[in-house]
Order: sequence, then C-alpha cells, then structure tokens
Amino acid sequence: MIRGAVRQCLVTMRLYFRNPLAMTYGYLFPTVFLAAFWGLYRFDRVPLVRHIGELLTITVLGGACFGLPTTLVSEREKGVWRRYRLMPVPVGALVTSTIAARYVLVVTAGLLQLALAMLIGMPGPQHPFDLWVAFTIVAFAFLGCGLVIAMMADTVPAVQALGQTIFLPMLIIGGVAVPIASLPDWAQHASAFLPGRYAVETLQACVSGDGIRSTLFSAGALLVIGAAACIAGAMMFRWDEHERFATRHDRAWVVLALAAWAAVGAAAEVRGYITTARPAFAATASVPLPTADAPVSSPAAQVQTLHPTTAEVAAGANPVPAVAAATRPPGDAKGGSPVSRTHPTSWQAVSQEDINADLRFDQLPPDGGIITPIATPGDQPDPLTTESVATLARALPQWAPGSVFDPVQRVRNVLYVAAVPDLLQLDIERYVPAVVYERLGAQIERPELIKILYWIAVHPFDGDDQAVDDMTSLGLPPAAAASPEDVRARAAVYGVKLLGRLTGKIEP
Amino acid sequence: MGFGIWALGFPEVATYAVAVRGLKKSYGQVDAVRGVSLYIREGEIFGLLGPNGAGKTTLLECIVGLRIPDGGEIEVAGLDARRHTREMHQRIGVMLQSTALQDKITPREALQLFATFYRNAADPTQLLERFSLTEKADATFDTLSGGQRQRLALAIAFVNRPQILFLDEPTAGLDPQSRRELRDEIARLKSDGRTVLLTTHDVEEAERLCERVAIMDGGQIIATGEPRALTTESASMQSVSLSTKPGIDAEQLTAIAGMADVTCDGNRITFRTADARRTLRELTALLDESGIDVLELHVHRATLEEVFLRLTGAENER
Repeated sequence: MIRGAVRQCLVTMRLYFRNPLAMTYGYLFPTVFLAAFWGLYRFDRVPLVRHIGELLTITVLGGACFGLPTTLVSEREKGVWRRYRLMPVPVGALVTSTIAARYVLVVTAGLLQLALAMLIGMPGPQHPFDLWVAFTIVAFAFLGCGLVIAMMADTVPAVQALGQTIFLPMLIIGGVAVPIASLPDWAQHASAFLPGRYAVETLQACVSGDGIRSTLFSAGALLVIGAAACIAGAMMFRWDEHERFATRHDRAWVVLALAAWAAVGAAAEVRGYITTARPAFAATASVPLPTADAPVSSPAAQVQTLHPTTAEVAAGANPVPAVAAATRPPGDAKGGSPVSRTHPTSWQAVSQEDINADLRFDQLPPDGGIITPIATPGDQPDPLTTESVATLARALPQWAPGSVFDPVQRVRNVLYVAAVPDLLQLDIERYVPAVVYERLGAQIERPELIKILYWIAVHPFDGDDQAVDDMTSLGLPPAAAASPEDVRARAAVYGVKLLGRLTGKIEP
Repeated sequence: MGFGIWALGFPEVATYAVAVRGLKKSYGQVDAVRGVSLYIREGEIFGLLGPNGAGKTTLLECIVGLRIPDGGEIEVAGLDARRHTREMHQRIGVMLQSTALQDKITPREALQLFATFYRNAADPTQLLERFSLTEKADATFDTLSGGQRQRLALAIAFVNRPQILFLDEPTAGLDPQSRRELRDEIARLKSDGRTVLLTTHDVEEAERLCERVAIMDGGQIIATGEPRALTTESASMQSVSLSTKPGIDAEQLTAIAGMADVTCDGNRITFRTADARRTLRELTALLDESGIDVLELHVHRATLEEVFLRLTGAENER
C-alpha cells in the first residue's frame, strides 16, 4: 500500500509537470508576484528581504487553496476518483499521497522564489532549517483548507469562487499582501482570525528574524487550523461529484474547520497578541477631505487665503489636502466667517495665537496610516530596519543640508529626510520621524523650533528643495521618483505633527 | 473461490461467484433497485439486460462497492462484500461504464500505478500487449480513441488477475470494429475460466456473449435464464410479419382468431400467434376476399430481443 501511495504521489507530480496550465499557476504566478513586490518595494535597501514571508505565503496559498482543490475536483468530475475507489486502498492513503505531491510542488515553487529573490540581492535565510519547518507548517494549514474547499466544491469554477473567498481577504486585510502595520485597527483585529497573518509572521521570522521560536504562537495557530481542516476534509471526503453535503454531519465539519480560525483569533486577542500599532486612529490613509461648506482643493488655495502675496502660491499647483486641512483656520472649517487677523510676516513673529488659529491638528493624517506614518514608542523594528535607521541616525549630524545657516531651510531639509522614505514607502519610513525630531530638537531651541515649524506649515513651498537630491549620503535611495511638491507637502505635515507634539496638541 | 449457499440460506445448493439477495437502493424518492436477488455461477458469463434506467448500473455499482445499498446481502468471491470491501477489491476486476483517467497519464503509467496496489498484479507490459495497446503505451490518455480507452479500462480491470469481472456496458459508444474486438476479448474470458457479470442494453450482445441473462426493468429482475431458454419459453408463440398491396385496415384483422400484439403500419403487419397454420389460413382467406396481394411473408420463432421487448414493454405498461 505504501509503495502504491508513493507511486501515486510520483505520478501526480509527473502529471503536474505535463500540464502547462498547472505549471503557469504553480511557478509563473509566484514569479510574477515576486517581480511585482520587487517593483513595489524597489527602494528597499535590501531587496525583498522584508517581504519574502508574504511572497512565500502567497505561493503556498495559491498551491493549496487553488491548485490542490482544482486537481482533486477536476479528477473527481472526470471519474478518476471513482475508479480509485475500486482499488484495495484506504482513502487516507490516496488523499495523503495527493497532498504530499502538492506539498512537494509548493516547496519547489517556494525554493524557486527564494532563489530568484537571492539572485536579485536578498541575503539567504537566517534560519534555513526553521524556514523549512515553518514552510511545512504553513503548507499543512493551507493544504488542509484546500482539502475542505475540494470537498465543498462540485466544479472547478466553484473551487475558484471558494478559493477567492479565502485568498482575497487574506491578501488585503490578512497581512499577506498589505503589511499589517499599514492596516486600520479593525483590519488588524480581523487579520487575527485569518491564517495568512500567522503564515507571514512565522516565515518572515525565519528569513530575517529570530527564527520559528520567536513565533511559536503563529506556528501553533497554523497547526490548529491545519489539523481542524484536515480532519474536516477527511471526514467530508467524497469520491463522487454528486455527494456534496451527503450527510448532515458534513456541514458540521465545515463549521469545525472555521471554528479553528475563530478559536485562534480569539486566543490571539485574549492573550494580547494583536496589539495594533496605533490605537489612537481608526482609519488608514484617511487624508482629511474638504468639508462641503469649506471646500479646500489645494494648499495653494488655503495659503492664498492666509498669505496672498507669498511666492508659494505659484508653486501650489500640486494638491496637498493634508497640509491644507492641517492649516485650515478653524473658523473656515466650521463654516464661519473668515477670520480677520494680522498674520505674522516672519517666522520670528509667529505667536501661539497664530498656531491655535491656523493649524488643525485633528485633521492630520493618522500616524498609523500610509501617509506620514510615525511609529509608536512600543513599535520595535526588526533587526534589519533597526540597522538601517541607525545608519541614518549616525549620518544625519554630518549631513550638510542639515547644517545650513538659515534655520528655516535647515528644518525644511531635515524634515525632507522623513518625507522621502514616506513617499518611497521604505521599510524605515515610520521610524525615521523619531530620528528627525530628535535631530531637530538637538539643533534648535524649542520656542524657535515651534515657530519655524508653523512657518513651514503655512509656507510649504517656500525655500528650496535641493537637499532632496542629496539623500544617498544618508543611506537612502535617490528620491528621483518623488516629486518635489510631494516631498515639500509631506515635510510640512511631518512638521505639523512635530509641532503638535511640542505644543502638547498631540499625544506622542 | 465459491462459497456454500447454505451460509446465506439460499434455496438451492450451488457454488456461486456472486450472490445477491434482496438488494435495495433508492435515490431520494426513486427506487433504483427494488429487492433484487441474483446468483452467478463460477466461470459463467452472465448478462444483465435492460433498457436505460432499468437499474443495471446501480445494481452493479452496489455489488462492487461503489454505492452503499439501502438493504440486502451481497457475497462476492466468498466474501461479504459490504464488510470486506477492500479484500473483495483484491479479487475482482471492474470496468465502469465510463472509465476516465487523468488527461496526461499514459496507459503504461496507469497500468503500473494500478498494479502497485494489488498483491497478485499482472505485468503491465503483457497487459499492453494483450489489449493491443503497445503502440499507444506512452501516448497520453487524452489522445486515445474511444476504443483504445475502453481497452485500457479493460486492461486495468485485469491488472490484478481477477477471477470475477464486472463489465458495465463495455461496448457502449464504440465503433463497430472496436466493438467486435472487445466482444472477442470478452468471449476469451470464458475459455480462461473467469466469471463475468456484464451489463448491456444490447440484446444481440447479450445473446452472443452470455450463457445466462437476467432481464431487468424498473429496478427489478423480471426474467432470468439462458438466452435460448428464454426464447423457447416464447416458442409456443411465433412471430409473423407480412407486407401487402394495398395496405390492410387493422380493424379487418379483428375477425381472425389467435392474433396477438398486432401492429399495422401501412402495408406492413406484424403479430404473434400460437397457431401459425390456422391463423395464416384465415388471414390469406381474408386477403383473397379483399383482393389484397401478399408481397412478403415471414414466420419465425421469438428472438431474445422480442422477449426483452415484450417483457420490458409489459413492465412499462404495468
């Protein structure tokens, strides 16, 4: 029987390699995802090292939630499994050998992905054995889910539909394609109930972290989910295409498989495993929108109201609603009459009254969003990120644009250092503001800094932005892909965020 | 191989390769098999004959363990088929109505794969030769013709050197050449001493291949016996068909005694009669009086097909 199961496993693999569609699905798609991630995170100092967990998870998900059930269901539709049923073999042996074949195929796809990633500059995994163990656990969990899908679906299109209901949520809100830290709170909590998050965490820890021992909860969660799914799939197993939910127990087995997801999510919540990075904000990337009664289309419009003669009016063609909203006079925002007030003509003349009147800290993009993110004090970067941030922190005091004579330009330049990683979506983006703020605090006295930050907020397009072209000496990639207007706008927002912290308007 | 029928309390002393008693199987409200009993002797080629939907395939699939019957007893090769299914599968060969394999598997790979699961496996290369598949041994399944696929299915059924074979509509959908080849192969099984249960709706096939047949309709067996015996049962009734010019009105024939199952289709009349001489005498007299010429006249004993049609037709009318 074992000899037969092994041969069946080998035949399954051989047939897989003869099927161009399966090869495309199994190997080309993961490669496309790898290329896409490489392009998306092209400014990462070390290519893909921080995203290989996500990539491997996508590979396993594709092979397990689509590949396995598609093969099983199409063979069952043809009647292959009816014929198998007439052999003197227990069902478990045939299913196990089929799953084993799929596991080998998924491992080869994962190895291909690793090899390609290393070819383009990613260092080898720090814990290769752990990575294999973690990969096996992830495959076990997802192959179990694939088995349940195969038993629930009657046709291949039904497999696709069911697979997508698992695949897409995990990709979008499950931490598989979008980093958990970028997700809003509700999605971070929801991700606890999806296995994708645990897969990414445990795989990533083996590549660039402290190994599988540092993610025991994730590994355990995947084992629980996989065991429940495998039991459910085995109990629901059917040889014929027309026996779906043949017994009333079948639906109960589906509930069992899903109950494991719920149990794992609940355990994660109860144990405090899911700590959202920024509990103060509920929405992500929620750039404040103009209200109906006080429409603001661009900072230019807003700045024009405040300072109709300033030079940045002409430069304000690029809409930066974040800055606009943050600098909107409260009276305007509430739909009241325009404030008649004398505005400061130099940064030295800025008063607290100006700050109170012109800046709206509650309109700032959330620190936990994707625009101008800032890490919370408890948010510990991984070792690679720590190293990158430390490199930048060491280089910043020697960075020439950060020491120019004009204090306003100096602050602008240093704020650009936070803005560029944000625009390029570098891994270090949310950790750089702390370094920048520290540097500014060390260079400029607090009262002056407050005034300068206000000045930059209401004059975002003043001064120059030549420092943006000199980021490589800080270990950052060239900022050519970021437009100067965007850099200035983001710098202004970071400036307001620091101002809020300095004046107690924002809780750090 | 066989077993004493006493073990099941059957009413006769014999050795059977397959014994089925009181088998029932329903799909929802539809009774596909209604209390069927069936006994197949060792070394016998037994035909299960019936129209489409008669329940033949369901019965066969229950026997071989593909479906779980709602009731009844099944004994195959001396084993309780419902309790020792896996051991039974070691001993039987099955060719399903449509055996599909993976598109990209080759006959050689399929036979090698199936062979690994059996204790007493045949050599795949010899099977390829025996079933004329050597040339196509390394061609993928999706490139095989219908006949080649059926031969491969039969080869797979032989992979464990079975003593009992179950063949479900083995020649259905084949071209005449492939059908003839497959029938020759089945006929050879008899000389090999194997037991065969064959389902078919082709009367000619059953008459040619089978030593005994059971006619099944509406989920029940309505007649069992040797093909010749079944036709002999109807021997007292002869079939008559004649062509006339001009045609004759069926109403005119009611005066003639002894005619049964009369059909009148324009110039052609068919009927059955127990006394052909007397009926034909009266009929020719009637035709003379009416000035009708006889163009053709055939009188023959009932064929199995007629028995089949008569029995299944009667079932359908009931």
